[in-house]
Amino acid sequence: MSELKKGDKISLAIGGHITIIKELGRGGQGIVYLVDVNSQQMALKWYLTPPDDAFYQNLQHNVQQGAPSDAFLWPKYLTKKEKGSYGYVMDLRPSNYYEFGNYLLAKKSFKSFSAMLAAAMKICDGFMMLHRFGYSYQDLNDGNFFIEPTTGDVLICDNDNVMPQGEKSGIMGKARYMAPEVVAGGIPDKYSDRYSLSVILFMLFFANHPLEGAKVVACPCLTESFEKKFYGSEAVFIYDEKDKSNLPVRGVHQNVIRRWPIFPQLLKDTFREQFSQETLKNKNNRLIEQGWQKIIATIRDSLVICPICGEETFVDLTQSEYTCMNPNCAGKFKPAAILKLGLRDIPILPKSSLYIDNDNIPDAKVVRSQDDQNLLLIQNLSASPWIAETPSGKIKTVEANGFMPVKVGIKVSFGSGNKAEIIQ
Amino acid sequence: MSLLDEVVSVPRRTMVLFFVIDTSGSMMGNKIGAVNDAVVNVLPMLEEISATNPDAEIKVAALEFSSGTSWLYSEPKLASEFVWQDVTASGLTAFGEACTELSSKLSRSGFMKSASGSFAPAIILLSDGAPTDNYENGLAKLKCNNWFKAAIKIAIAIGDDADQNVLKEFTGNSEAVFTVHNIDALKQIIRVVAVTSSQIGSKSSTAGETTKQEQVVDEIKDAVDSIDGAEVATAVDSSSYKDDWD
Ligand SMILES: [Zn+2]
Repeated sequence: MSELKKGDKISLAIGGHITIIKELGRGGQGIVYLVDVNSQQMALKWYLTPPDDAFYQNLQHNVQQGAPSDAFLWPKYLTKKEKGSYGYVMDLRPSNYYEFGNYLLAKKSFKSFSAMLAAAMKICDGFMMLHRFGYSYQDLNDGNFFIEPTTGDVLICDNDNVMPQGEKSGIMGKARYMAPEVVAGGIPDKYSDRYSLSVILFMLFFANHPLEGAKVVACPCLTESFEKKFYGSEAVFIYDEKDKSNLPVRGVHQNVIRRWPIFPQLLKDTFREQFSQETLKNKNNRLIEQGWQKIIATIRDSLVICPICGEETFVDLTQSEYTCMNPNCAGKFKPAAILKLGLRDIPILPKSSLYIDNDNIPDAKVVRSQDDQNLLLIQNLSASPWIAETPSGKIKTVEANGFMPVKVGIKVSFGSGNKAEIIQ
Repeated sequence: MSLLDEVVSVPRRTMVLFFVIDTSGSMMGNKIGAVNDAVVNVLPMLEEISATNPDAEIKVAALEFSSGTSWLYSEPKLASEFVWQDVTASGLTAFGEACTELSSKLSRSGFMKSASGSFAPAIILLSDGAPTDNYENGLAKLKCNNWFKAAIKIAIAIGDDADQNVLKEFTGNSEAVFTVHNIDALKQIIRVVAVTSSQIGSKSSTAGETTKQEQVVDEIKDAVDSIDGAEVATAVDSSSYKDDWD
């Protein structure tokens, strides 16, 4: 076991050295230190017991490849093997990001559903990029995610166990986040990562575990062999359509009982499908990250600001009149118009943010005209101009920060092939 | 935002960490002083592990045994609420009685009655001697207890007079018995064992083949390497000869 102290100098594999400033925290595997790297403050993860050479080489490979996306707090430098161990240097985690566990323990909560959806989108994006780079995550669990509660921005940490697919790091994740076939002893891969992604998303939205209902809570002592059953061979989704043996329990699984009814049907159907017996057992049925992103984009389209109470509400896009989900309001209202974007129907309502792509940055906002309170405008929040075609065929340019009226029949091109039409 | 503000904590299981402490006369002086000191210092660490853990909360229970047995509190308490009362040493080593007492509390009518369920407990046994009672019946009964069977079990042998075979029988494995030869090592190992078994015991188990007990033992072994005066029990296993030669 090897610990470092203030002032210790550690050599980097690429040359140069870092200086230990202080300890920031410790876990089972190692200690995280605040370090000085050429007058810049960064974090060093130092292993208490050095993992084997294959692990070192894998880290070296990951450092050279660079982060798959900005969602990752990725290893930037590797140290040389010295003082009985080694470690890697990464950026410091900003203090306004909180571990996902804090959200589960209700110590932190999302400031809005919009932030929650942004977090979901960002996690999917991170996994998509990770798999695109040929990696799998291996030990995904609630300790890996740090989330900013206002924006929903996400940082994925502990990326030292990211391995090329098909290889096994030896460090396994918690059973409650792992795919049934991994719980049964299989090797994690992108398919099992996708299962873990569904669990993380479910917990993000509903703040309870998708497989922990009556059946699990009835077990007085959750031994390791019971865990292998509940998360593996005998896993049952709490809202399984056919098997009602594991329903959430009132007074215990309060969050999911309260939230399940308010989320759009599409999301509930998707989870029912992803945690169905068929999909639990057949890893090829699992939704790929882009599939999740489409679902989340549609859910986000259905999130609007209720014009009556001013709170966020999900609306049923299949209806022409919407009902506010907030129990104190329950007001009824209609969209001013619909922005038809491919297969998506985005309701246009004052104060709505419109997301054309999946990058979590609103591309447009619906506002009231200052001159005419009855006229709604769409503001271009993107950096590039849009091209609009009026019903009579005139071509207009909507500059960045410029406006266009909400008028049925206008066609607009947002760039990157995204074309939409305003319909009633 | 009212709908989001209504969120409550996920239901957490409870993991009880048991200290089973030999307070017989031979523990008097430095040894018992070190135990008291180490446990007081480890409680805030357990509190922190518990506070940030979405899987389970950690509670602590402590049983001392000498000529008789006594629980420090009549129920497991959160580390934050567990005010350690220094234990004192005197009398004999009623280990069998301690096993019987522990077994009686390892039940849903005893200490394991958490509403949202439990994880298997972690049990740390500390002793510097050999049982002075007829311990076989008590230990045999304890070993039939399902909670005990599933528990993480670690024994700390204090000095060379500790009966390694009894400790090994208790943990079921010679690798789970750690021996210390000085007061500093005793303090350090109590911290390492309590923290490691709580960290691993209070979390959803890892997928794959290694058991929680094996993971705890492996991590403690790594830590023991850097503690002067602490060692893993010698691998010489005499128990397999016992039946043949009795
Ligand atoms: Zn409303």
